[in-house]
Amino acid sequence: MPDQPLQAFSPPSSLFSSLPAGLSEGVLVTWVLYAVFAFWALYTFVAIYHWLKYSHASWLAFPAIAIHLAVSFALIMYALSGQALFLTRYLP
Amino acid sequence: MKEFELEPSEHVVIEARKHWLLFLGELLPYAILAVIPFALPKLITLVPSIASTTFFEYHTPLSRAMLGVYLLITWTSAWGTFTHYFLDAWVLTNQRIVNIKQRKFFSREVSGLFLSRVQDVTTEVNGVLSSLLGIGDIKVQTAAEDVEFVMRGIPHPEVMRDVILKYVSVKTEPTGV
Repeated sequence: MPDQPLQAFSPPSSLFSSLPAGLSEGVLVTWVLYAVFAFWALYTFVAIYHWLKYSHASWLAFPAIAIHLAVSFALIMYALSGQALFLTRYLP
Repeated sequence: MKEFELEPSEHVVIEARKHWLLFLGELLPYAILAVIPFALPKLITLVPSIASTTFFEYHTPLSRAMLGVYLLITWTSAWGTFTHYFLDAWVLTNQRIVNIKQRKFFSREVSGLFLSRVQDVTTEVNGVLSSLLGIGDIKVQTAAEDVEFVMRGIPHPEVMRDVILKYVSVKTEPTGV
């Protein structure tokens, strides 16, 4: 099987062809990211509330919260800028 | 744990959770989901008809944003599973057994059973893997036949049973009066 030359990622062209007028790909992606990060923030807030309310006396509560926040922020950075802080070497 | 207050003479003897292997089993779907975006491009090259697809070349901002969001959702879900695992616990004090069930967020059940009411404690280990790893269930029966406390998937159930029985016998020991 001959090797294929690498090509840049391109989303299916039909994906963005039916967007309403005035709504560009960039705006759509921005709002999708806003929605995902808002959901993440809400979920994380609820989970941290449970950790602090029910397991605040455990030695594991704060490390668990800190690791979650660190990994999440690295992935958010990756989604926004392509740089994933300490996770950079594990991601393409 | 703050959902129940200890009595002045009460202290926590042991706190148990489901065996870590069962927790790893719950994490497995997330691990598979996390690996898919990295494994799929390599697997695709094995299928000649679709080998030329460029969908998984993560070199553009959009593709990285999609990958980042995908991994963020997977990671957060896995962390939520760990949260549920950790908040789901059985606590044995010198006076009672407290079963804390974290069904989902904002759905929590805390039930207690005083050791003085315990009539029988049964352990059950089923299967080869459970026998090898010491994973099993404990059934705590009270005088009332319909009241049964079941702890599922705990590590070394026979040890837990012995500890429960030890404190049951301490509670019911004749005082000599």
